[in-house]
Amino acid sequence: MESLIIRRRATQWLCSRNSCRIKQRMLRAYSNATSKPDIYDVVCVGGGPAGLSLLTALRSSAATSNLRVALVEAQDLSKTKSFNLPPTQYSNRCSSLTASSCQFLHEIGAWDHLQQDRMTRYQDMRVWDGVSGASIEFEYERTHGVQNAGGQGMACMVENLNLTSGLLKRLEELGGVSTFDKSKVESISFGEETEDGADLREWPVVHLAGGKQLHARLLVGADGANSPVRSFAGINASGWDYNRHGVVATLQLEQTGYDTFTPGDPYEAPKVAYQRFLPTGPVAMLPMPGNYSTLVWSTTPQNAALLKSLSPKDFIAMVNAAFRLSTVDLGYLHTQTSNQAEEISWRLQHTPVDAHAVPAPVIGVQENSVASFPLKFRHADTYIAERVALVGDAAHTVHPLAGQGLNMGQGDVQSLAKTIQFAVEHGLDIGATMSLEAYNAERYAANHVLMGVCDKLHKLYSVGSGPLVPLRSLGLNLVNSLSPLKGFLMERAAGNGKVF
Amino acid sequence: MKTSIARVARHTGRRITQPSATTIRHQTTSSSPLPPPHQTTTSPLPPPPAQPSSSSTLPPPPSAAQPSLPLPSGPSSPSVNPSEISHFNALASTWWDPHGSSRALHLMNPHRHDFIRSCLSSTSTPPPSTLRYLDVGCGGGIFAESAARLPTASSVTAIDPSSTILSIAKAHAARDPSLIGTGKLEYRNATIESLDKSEEGKFDVVTCFEVVEHVDDPAAFLDHCGRFVKPGGWLVLSTIARTWMSWFTTNLVAEDILGIVPKGTHDWRKYINEEEMRKHFSKRREWDSPRVMGVVYVPGVGWKEVPGSEKVGNYFFAVRKKPE
Repeated sequence: MESLIIRRRATQWLCSRNSCRIKQRMLRAYSNATSKPDIYDVVCVGGGPAGLSLLTALRSSAATSNLRVALVEAQDLSKTKSFNLPPTQYSNRCSSLTASSCQFLHEIGAWDHLQQDRMTRYQDMRVWDGVSGASIEFEYERTHGVQNAGGQGMACMVENLNLTSGLLKRLEELGGVSTFDKSKVESISFGEETEDGADLREWPVVHLAGGKQLHARLLVGADGANSPVRSFAGINASGWDYNRHGVVATLQLEQTGYDTFTPGDPYEAPKVAYQRFLPTGPVAMLPMPGNYSTLVWSTTPQNAALLKSLSPKDFIAMVNAAFRLSTVDLGYLHTQTSNQAEEISWRLQHTPVDAHAVPAPVIGVQENSVASFPLKFRHADTYIAERVALVGDAAHTVHPLAGQGLNMGQGDVQSLAKTIQFAVEHGLDIGATMSLEAYNAERYAANHVLMGVCDKLHKLYSVGSGPLVPLRSLGLNLVNSLSPLKGFLMERAAGNGKVF
Repeated sequence: MKTSIARVARHTGRRITQPSATTIRHQTTSSSPLPPPHQTTTSPLPPPPAQPSSSSTLPPPPSAAQPSLPLPSGPSSPSVNPSEISHFNALASTWWDPHGSSRALHLMNPHRHDFIRSCLSSTSTPPPSTLRYLDVGCGGGIFAESAARLPTASSVTAIDPSSTILSIAKAHAARDPSLIGTGKLEYRNATIESLDKSEEGKFDVVTCFEVVEHVDDPAAFLDHCGRFVKPGGWLVLSTIARTWMSWFTTNLVAEDILGIVPKGTHDWRKYINEEEMRKHFSKRREWDSPRVMGVVYVPGVGWKEVPGSEKVGNYFFAVRKKPE
């Protein structure tokens, strides 16, 4: 559920290393031989959470603040920066920030620029199996030791736009970033030898629409799952499509007195995140301030299309059913094109539900907040190449069931910024593969393990019947009774993707 | 660990000095009364198997063991050993390959800066805000480039007797526009003896990394390097201790058993122990504040500082020229 605010089209003239040489020769005829190349230490393509965090980290650290940095973004960042909604409306693109991500945002001075009243922490996580009903409860102990910048808590729900807007405000405060927004990357090529003897033939050159050319000592691809930077570097990203879509929506819950709004102090409410594994995919209800919640429902493309077509009344009924009714009932309801509300109301009367074990009933859905996106698993073969580094979705796309996507990106950025700082302090060329090795070594294995776990969980719970169901239920119940293992899983949920 | 140590020695060492034998003998016996290597008593290891000469100096110049190869390039100076030049010329093309034969050197480079930093910060008076560096035996420029990128470096003069290697160094530096045109980094095809005397006492930091173990007369070589250090400045070097371990790793395993280093690349007898180095400089009045840092290569991880390991294998050493 990461960086979906900004989607950019793959560039049209991406060149592989070979075709670039040909193109270079063609360009040479047109290039102005007298113009000096515009050389940057870091050119970051992509102004999503990962790219903005990286630039903020580099600008806020004394060692790296002398680097000449540029940001290239297709969208209008002034609109993102001025993100502002009334407290009764929430963006449908939200993320769960782990304590580590919160801590990192605090360290780079961005945390205080986020709109605090639009975020909410949650202490408890309730996960259960939709087929067998086996459950696991992660009650986050206040004494557990993992703290986040806003106080203690397992994780913090934030709108992605709130995060990017806060990062942009922090960057504006720091200054020193050459920002090229509303700028499309036309192509990326290699440089040439200059008149004063500089050999830039292995330097990436980002060509923007309008003719601007940026030479990059280090080109950072924070440009999403279809990363043009990754294509330029010739780095393959392998994986598969889940044939699932994530349906998102902003919901309003009934005020039950439990798990809802505490007037004047939204942070003190005992917020709970709910996730139920259905054979079609997990459905999650994550708390937002007040009695608002955000929905992430992973399901088949057909079901997603149906859900999006429903009237608000039927959509609300379906969400309530998803956390309460049997998978058989749900299967039937997905075959109906309308009037689910009536059907569900009748079926719920005959289904015993523990009101404290499920989220409060949904009573409203925000207009135009229902949307969906395809779910993919992608992992780049490496995060680095000569003068190239990939972060966030450009490096990995993960199933959203564990809410790790954006946090993995923040973990990448923290590691890359540290790697760049080390290189600067030791006089290394920050674009050289040798200097970037530490970043790849630190993040690749850690992300791979986490991605594997998310993927296996999805596959495990996609099974609707057969021997796997009692086995996984036994597993879930067993995990629930083993506190050290539960502690490990909670540390993952609270951590930044570090495995060891 | 074994092969890497071998590599380090093999790739950085250049025979820089070889003044006439009589001069050296005279100099070293009179002014550098270092203990003979086999009399080392402070080493925790047993005496090494092959005993070098019993003279009470730093290891003397070798006999005519080195074949006299034609000098392919380099300044026409009698102090340059043709076989060393030819040896390192052959390695030139892989100097900057991160997975090439110089990988261990690349990995060691950050430790060089950390060590220099620890030297500079050890004095009661703060070091100058900008520093002039002289890198002796710069090779492909791994250290020289990185020093020139530091905001605290006002200039880096890097010398090497091989013009072939210097052409690699220059071509690589040209790939970084911040290193050219600024005049901060200057490569010279020179030996320490051929440097202009007017530059003596002008450098804040004089470095010779992985060089002395390949020098025929290290005492004379180090004295020569020392002349270029500014009063209050530092002479910084790294090399390998002459121990059972280094004999095992760099000579027996690397050269005789595995053959990954051509036979005769290393003369184990020329390795210098840390105590010998310390003693050499303690006899010379202009030096004080000796500092040492032992490093160990951990395969898959890189170089790690291990206190005490200077007695066993690779180590850094520095002395400060007394301020005037």
